[in-house]
Amino acid sequence: MNPSNPPQAAEYGGDEVSAIVLDPGYSTTRAGFAGEDAPKSLIPTYYGKYNADGQEKIVYGDDVFVTPRPGLSVYNPLNKDGIVEDWDMAEKVWEHSFMSRLTGTKAGNPFQNGLNDDGTQEPPEEMEVESDEKPLSDSPLLMTEPGWNPAKAREKTIEIAMEKWDTPAFYLARTGVLASFASGKASALVIDIGASNISVTPIHDGMILKRGVQHSPLGGDYISSQISALFKANSPQPITITPHYLISSKTAVEAGQAPQAKYKTFPADKAPDASYRALLEERTLAEFKECVVQVWPGPTRLSAPGPNGIPNEDMARTYPGRPFEFPDGYNQVFGVDRFRVVESLFDAKAAVPDPESSFPPPTPAQTIPELVKASLAGVDVDLRPHLLANVVVTGGSSLLYGFTERLNHELMQMFPGPRVRVTAAGNTSERRFGSWIGGSILASLGTFHQMWISKKEYEEHGPNIVEKRCK
Amino acid sequence: MGPKRNSRKSSERVRTPRKTAPQTPQLPSRGTTMPPFKDEHILLIAPGSQMTLAQLGLPETFTPAQFRFPTRMFPAEKKGEFEPYRVNEKRHEVKISSGPTAPKADVEMKDAEASATEAAVKPEGETETTESTEQTTKTVEEIVYEEDVASDEGAIYPIQNGRIVDWPCFFALLTHVYNTLSPPFHTPVMLIGQPVWSSRDRETIAQFVFEKFKAPAFSLMDSALAACYGYGTSTATVVDVGKGKVDVTAVTDFAVNEHGRGIALEGCGGDAMTDRLVELLGHKGFTREMCEQLKRSNIVEILPPGTPLPGAAATARQGANPAAAASTGGPDANDSAPRGPGDGTQTGTESNNDDEEEGVLDVAAIVSGNTTEYLANIEKEKTTNKKGAVDPKAARLPNSKKEKASFQYEGFVQLEDEKATASGPRQYVRHTRDIEVSVERFLLTSPRSNTGDRLTGGILEDIATQIHHTILAVPDATKRSELWDSLIIVGCGSKVKGFTQALLGVITQKFILSPSGTIFTSEIPSTFTTPLPTGGTNTPAPMGQPGPMYHPAAHGVNPLLVAATHNNPGMPGMPGAMPGTPGMDPNMASHYRSTGHSQTPTSTKTLKLPEYFPDFKDQGNSNAPGASAGNAGATPGASQSGHGSEEAVFLGAQMAAKVFFVVDQGLSKGYMSRVDYNESGPSAIHEYIL
Repeated sequence: MNPSNPPQAAEYGGDEVSAIVLDPGYSTTRAGFAGEDAPKSLIPTYYGKYNADGQEKIVYGDDVFVTPRPGLSVYNPLNKDGIVEDWDMAEKVWEHSFMSRLTGTKAGNPFQNGLNDDGTQEPPEEMEVESDEKPLSDSPLLMTEPGWNPAKAREKTIEIAMEKWDTPAFYLARTGVLASFASGKASALVIDIGASNISVTPIHDGMILKRGVQHSPLGGDYISSQISALFKANSPQPITITPHYLISSKTAVEAGQAPQAKYKTFPADKAPDASYRALLEERTLAEFKECVVQVWPGPTRLSAPGPNGIPNEDMARTYPGRPFEFPDGYNQVFGVDRFRVVESLFDAKAAVPDPESSFPPPTPAQTIPELVKASLAGVDVDLRPHLLANVVVTGGSSLLYGFTERLNHELMQMFPGPRVRVTAAGNTSERRFGSWIGGSILASLGTFHQMWISKKEYEEHGPNIVEKRCK
Repeated sequence: MGPKRNSRKSSERVRTPRKTAPQTPQLPSRGTTMPPFKDEHILLIAPGSQMTLAQLGLPETFTPAQFRFPTRMFPAEKKGEFEPYRVNEKRHEVKISSGPTAPKADVEMKDAEASATEAAVKPEGETETTESTEQTTKTVEEIVYEEDVASDEGAIYPIQNGRIVDWPCFFALLTHVYNTLSPPFHTPVMLIGQPVWSSRDRETIAQFVFEKFKAPAFSLMDSALAACYGYGTSTATVVDVGKGKVDVTAVTDFAVNEHGRGIALEGCGGDAMTDRLVELLGHKGFTREMCEQLKRSNIVEILPPGTPLPGAAATARQGANPAAAASTGGPDANDSAPRGPGDGTQTGTESNNDDEEEGVLDVAAIVSGNTTEYLANIEKEKTTNKKGAVDPKAARLPNSKKEKASFQYEGFVQLEDEKATASGPRQYVRHTRDIEVSVERFLLTSPRSNTGDRLTGGILEDIATQIHHTILAVPDATKRSELWDSLIIVGCGSKVKGFTQALLGVITQKFILSPSGTIFTSEIPSTFTTPLPTGGTNTPAPMGQPGPMYHPAAHGVNPLLVAATHNNPGMPGMPGAMPGTPGMDPNMASHYRSTGHSQTPTSTKTLKLPEYFPDFKDQGNSNAPGASAGNAGATPGASQSGHGSEEAVFLGAQMAAKVFFVVDQGLSKGYMSRVDYNESGPSAIHEYIL
């Protein structure tokens, strides 16, 4: 090619549009383009609200973690079950999740002037869009929902997608089904350890077996409450978490010594409220879970005696502890306690008691082994061995150190006959975003195109179509 | 930098579900139909909120950008079109001028003009300035358009806080940049993208570049990644301090971590520092423009947290200085700014003009012979001058110990002579004078008293909090420690002296873990077993044996040991597999490594810019206009904290362009070719976004 010859005009004719996959969870909302291997946008489902200059302002996204604001309080549009409660705000939060990083915040036609200002070329037809463009006018949308989402909520979801966002095509898929797709299985028993819930979902040939869906509230937030209970009962003194935003500087202290930090004070009318502090404390607790907390590996429970007669607790005591430093500089080594805080996921009696906790003490039926048992009891006997051979573990809280190993032991003890095989993605992001990734795969399949509910179909049949089409 | 990229890309693509099949056969054909790109035919554009850097061709050794365009355009007469300079419409029925109002000192333009090359390229018509209007005054009833290069009145800034707010204007700017550099056809384009740009924005830009510039290849590179290329590192935390915002990005193995990324954090950029100065000095009559120049001068410094401000002792010494006495202001009719000695007053301290003269050696004298003698003479004169003028003790005092110092303010002053009013256009003269500032100059990052709706502890604390959040959000926990230890601080906002040190100080105060807790007191050495290389994978861990969950790295015993064991390929840990099942997924190992980590940060430091590109070092000193002028009371030449350059992004862009366009010719999918574009459309740009 001669650099002095002008190239021919562009001949791009296709209109390949990637679908957007939106996976709204209780603690985070994930959004990204189908076909990519991780959601591009990850925002907290929590949003902040405060008043400034006499106006109510709302903060979305990570900013809530970084910038304290006067009188800031934090809310979650979902209830503890992972079902939407505040539809207006859920819509806003979800909208933010794809507008901030994917579709852009400003609707409108950017092509009107810049591209065509040489006057020789007519604007391409397909770029002509009306100016009151809604956020998703040109992207199909695949959304996820928990297996126990009520019909009302499903209809409301498609209503928002079609009417508020104007998406040309929509589909609603269950998180469990998608997580099994993400691990390459059409049939699986999906154990999802989320923030607000743990759930067990049996999937057969890509279809959810509704009667087998089980969930309980012993998720990441419950583990946090257990850790808080542990801190309260800590000796020699109870530990209080002071989040970073309240500390201006800290000084190194010896382990177990009282913290020496300079604290920040906000005037009473400006201080962020307790819900904000709780959210920020949760950040520290999440770090604690990553660095310290460990699941007793089994094969027997922490409270039981081990194979050689020594109680497991005594065994655990001999393991070196793990240090953790709190934002105010207080640091301590955590020994056997770091096993205790998660033991109640498997053994309800082992829960750390805390009468002030917002979580009632767990019942045996809420533990993971019992959920699996109940779930399998709800499905056909012939399917059970196949499901047990395809146990898929997903969800952020399943990243607890040693979790899958313990789960494996528990399942093998409970079901000695059939072959139990637990699969868990090794990669942190694949584990956390299992259902999003499944959605990404599904929506980019060529064969999936016939599954979409088109705008026309929606207009013809109304929101109830979601019940018929997304089973 | 090159080979590593390759491996990452290929491994990443394997997992991408998107069908990549159609692209593969093109690779060879691209090589055959398209001649390789040449160094001199590569167009680099790095748009910023304030300044857009551009360059055509890669020089032998990489230099700072050849062209600097202010990121702004002016609305043209026809709606929707834009001009690069302000156009004044003049009607000449009356002879009264409707000339420009007071032009603000336009630092951007000065920069642009200072660039020797640009002057040559500038279209002839555009050099016409206000002075030339005198001929046109004779014609009556005629509308005359003239371009006013000095004015920024009515300018539209298409990028605000990194975000493109006015697309037509942004595209007009790109076109202006493109036309100014006028590359030959078949010039590949590399654009440095702001982190805040959404996927849709990027598609739009790709479409524009391919359809308007007809580029044969286009690469859209993230600015944070470009900074990593500039520093020659694959993993770093990039802090980009811009005009109105700060971006904090964790890059691991040449991949940008989108989750938890601090994007366009507002109220933390250079403007926030100026705002603080205005707040501190406003009541003393300082205008915003003065504060802006003060910020750019080198008497301004951010002291590390806990450093006492220079106090009474320094004042006493300073008091003996004639400059301090003189600095209460000479008669100055046009400006009521305080503390400034009048025009032409010599202000003493080291703001002596011989600092400037030092730089201007008489080259002729050197060339004509006796170089050493000449230089020695100059040196001698200098020292004698200094001795004569200033108390040597005070002179040697570093800036941070002085209570007061002055800087040279450059402003435009309107000439109100009779002859000026007669001729029509008003005339301005550049007017410099020295202004003395007290300790306020150390306080520009202190929290503002009116924080608006942010409860901020000062911009450094906000940035530190964002860094903490960003690094904590990196999923691969083993990388976090490295990320804390490889901070890259770029962007013009970071040019303020002491910025980096102060930021590191704040991080240390707030986040660094005490060694006592994590290393020395916590562990009993006897329980600390040797790491098992592959232990526990194939057998169920029996009681008491340090099994899978027992990796020493988890205890934060000793960072070195942690680092060593983390590189151990055969980590224990076997989620899910039946005991006895051989063959462990390496991913699983990596997962187990990542949970069994210890808390971070135990230390933090910045990376050093590689020294192969001396030009990028210099840039740091010469770019601040205030710094090159009267450097009162500062250690000479130390306007930069000495750790590299705020424009490493552009250096990285050049390196990346060299690698992608020239060295590997598209093998690493560093750019999108025209063929790809024609086949898959703009949305395919995401496959190539770096």
